[in-house]
Amino acid sequence: MRLINIDKKSWTGGLENLYGNYRLFGPVKNNKHHVFKELSKGELPDLNYLNTLLSPKSIVFSQSETMFEYSLDESKEQHHILKEINKDYSPQALIGIRPCDAASFQLVKRNFDTPEYKDPYWLRAYESTTFVGLACSNPCSTCFCTSTGCGPFHEDGLDLLLVDEGENFIAKILTPGGENFIKSAGWETETDPVAAEKIIKNMKIKAEKKIASFVSTDQLKNRSAIDLYAAPFWEEIAFACINCGTCTYACPTCWCFDIQDEVSKNLGIRMRNWDSCMFPLFTLHGTGYNPRNTKMQRVRQRFMHKLKYYVDKYDDGIQCVGCGRCIRLCPVNIDIRRVCDMMNKYEG
Amino acid sequence: MHMPEYTAKIKEISARLLKEKKVEMVIGFRKGTVPMMNEPCFVKMPEDVKELVWDSNCGINLANYLTDRKEKIGIIAKGCDSRNIVTHIIENKIKREQLFIIGVPCKGMIDKNKITSMFENEINEISEHEEKIIVKGEGFEKTLNKNNVLQKNCKICIHRNPVIYDELAADLLDEQKDIDRYEDVRKIEAMAIEDKWNYFDEILSECIRCYACRNACPLCYCPTCFVDESRPQWVGKSTNPVDTRTFHFLRAYHCAGRCTDCGACERACPMGIKVRTFTKKLEKDCLELYGWEAGLSLDERPPLDTYRPDDPEDFIK
Amino acid sequence: MEDWEPRIVCFLCNWCSYGAADLAGVSRMQYPANVRAIRIPCAGRMSPKFILAAFMKGADGVWVSGCHPGDCHYLEGNYYARRKFALFKNLIEYMGIEPGRLHFSWISSAESTKFTSVVKKVTLAVKELGPRKQGIKRGVYG
Repeated sequence: MRLINIDKKSWTGGLENLYGNYRLFGPVKNNKHHVFKELSKGELPDLNYLNTLLSPKSIVFSQSETMFEYSLDESKEQHHILKEINKDYSPQALIGIRPCDAASFQLVKRNFDTPEYKDPYWLRAYESTTFVGLACSNPCSTCFCTSTGCGPFHEDGLDLLLVDEGENFIAKILTPGGENFIKSAGWETETDPVAAEKIIKNMKIKAEKKIASFVSTDQLKNRSAIDLYAAPFWEEIAFACINCGTCTYACPTCWCFDIQDEVSKNLGIRMRNWDSCMFPLFTLHGTGYNPRNTKMQRVRQRFMHKLKYYVDKYDDGIQCVGCGRCIRLCPVNIDIRRVCDMMNKYEG
Repeated sequence: MHMPEYTAKIKEISARLLKEKKVEMVIGFRKGTVPMMNEPCFVKMPEDVKELVWDSNCGINLANYLTDRKEKIGIIAKGCDSRNIVTHIIENKIKREQLFIIGVPCKGMIDKNKITSMFENEINEISEHEEKIIVKGEGFEKTLNKNNVLQKNCKICIHRNPVIYDELAADLLDEQKDIDRYEDVRKIEAMAIEDKWNYFDEILSECIRCYACRNACPLCYCPTCFVDESRPQWVGKSTNPVDTRTFHFLRAYHCAGRCTDCGACERACPMGIKVRTFTKKLEKDCLELYGWEAGLSLDERPPLDTYRPDDPEDFIK
Repeated sequence: MEDWEPRIVCFLCNWCSYGAADLAGVSRMQYPANVRAIRIPCAGRMSPKFILAAFMKGADGVWVSGCHPGDCHYLEGNYYARRKFALFKNLIEYMGIEPGRLHFSWISSAESTKFTSVVKKVTLAVKELGPRKQGIKRGVYG
């Protein structure tokens, strides 16, 4: 691990050096809000931002992704045979990703990269990505990352952490990927590691103090899943829910998708699209039977998955990084912090 | 009357209804956990009515929560909610006898997207005092004139008073007069055809197909929405722009002659898409072609459920 | 583009316009071959989804034809349809599809001459607009 100093005057030049070696992604403000998007040559990421409206998960796991194509034209060779689509897995870098969002990729990895099954599309995109984090000095009021085992200066899942010191960034290089990124940019001003670490530590403490919102998760593991499932509060929690997919689509840790074929004339494609456990179609069987037919069941499933099933399965905390997006974007103000506390408190 | 008095009156009526067992539940709003958001909720015990609030953040349409319910319900209804309750009754989604409607003459809801976009920093607190909205965040405090930050549909609303109610939570208001409700629609109508196409491409470009607009709408209660039909599949599931446009087009069309312009769809959209742009055109046409405004009367059939022999047909060869 | 011919999907009511098309055929009347007829039981059965699906799949024009007002086999199907069509047509135009791509007509089963003349008019109108550039869903993406 190495610490270097990036003078902001050399920032643009460094990005220019990177362009060509990496596809660069960063937060950019459109006319309404910040979004993560691919930067064109000369375009700068706007690092003066709270967080993007949606999470950057789509850069590795796009909302609609074509996997195969096939021809139904029997006069053609290899008709009716799925052929993988060529995709660009050249190196890419997410510049300015928040530590919470970076941590989310580690949670999602548990699903896409297991000893038994590996999702090739997600993994290839993930492995081609360098995560260049930006430490969070101004957390939002809805951020509760410190309660989820994450934090505004959290380093898990990052290759590099940038800490904004005003005139310059301190860059903490965390992996060989981060080292390559820095080399490619040409930033090489070494800094006194002890002094820099001290600055980072102080800023970290300050930032953590600004986190104003907390949840308790300590009892979730001890609670009985059956008791929680049967708890009386679900009707009340789910009442306001309109069963849209906003929370799941905004969430950096929601990974569900659906596979669809679309055929136009003789050409077919097989793709996957984000799906949401909030939708009745998510669980609808071919027979017409739907095991999660009511909105209460669907709302319960979302929270139980994030806050109980995941906890039980991986024994490493909840499936949430505390980014607060679902709280900010829910059209009817269903608040995961409140639900989490209710579940944590519930003794059956 | 000001908002705290509205709230007090709503609590009083609700507590009485529950105590006298006139209703099994009251549907209303409770204070949200983030600024400019309130959460729709139900109250079943008289002692729980303290949760209920009324302020300028009650933009979600509560008629949406009545669909196919069987209980006897007290419901808090502003002008547009009451019109959607009328529509629900007409369409047999609830019975009039099941409802005790607590009418709220509405002074408009504030536009959270607009207010958020006015400040660089996060807003931590919003309070209101008469016609003033006080916005506070780290290092700033600003007072806004409520009239300037109303949701667009509220700004042009001419049915602020509930059209149907059993008891009022406040005195009836004077309705707004001389309002041009279709200025935005006319602007689009006047565009060249390619510009129209591009305009809608632009406003839909961010759509994530979460269906919040559809689901926040009290009119959308089909057991299976056309977007979920698979045989045939009318609309693809991806973010293909043609599919997205088809979804928005049909969603709006299904609301033709039923939409009350309550603005819940637009308020619900996480991406800030102006989805009312679609429904507003149909609202205008229903008024111009058939003299119809949705949800004003229990005795009239909606325009697509009836006809007149002499309906306009100059577009038919 | 000189040899380009538009593809027009037409939905014809079983009780009138479809009969008119039949009559035009057995009478050996000539009309442009650009229309693909789909028989529907009544103009009232016409769903907006049919029109949108046709456009989505690449139709250059859509034409719907039913019975004259007062002549509906089911008494009032075309009256209801007329309201739906009026709103639909306006909305299509509002969203940027040229109005000349969507046509409606009333043609009784005896009016084979009207049928051929409307086919000609519709074809001409669509031809003038040229092939559709936008709103067609094509194969691979994403």
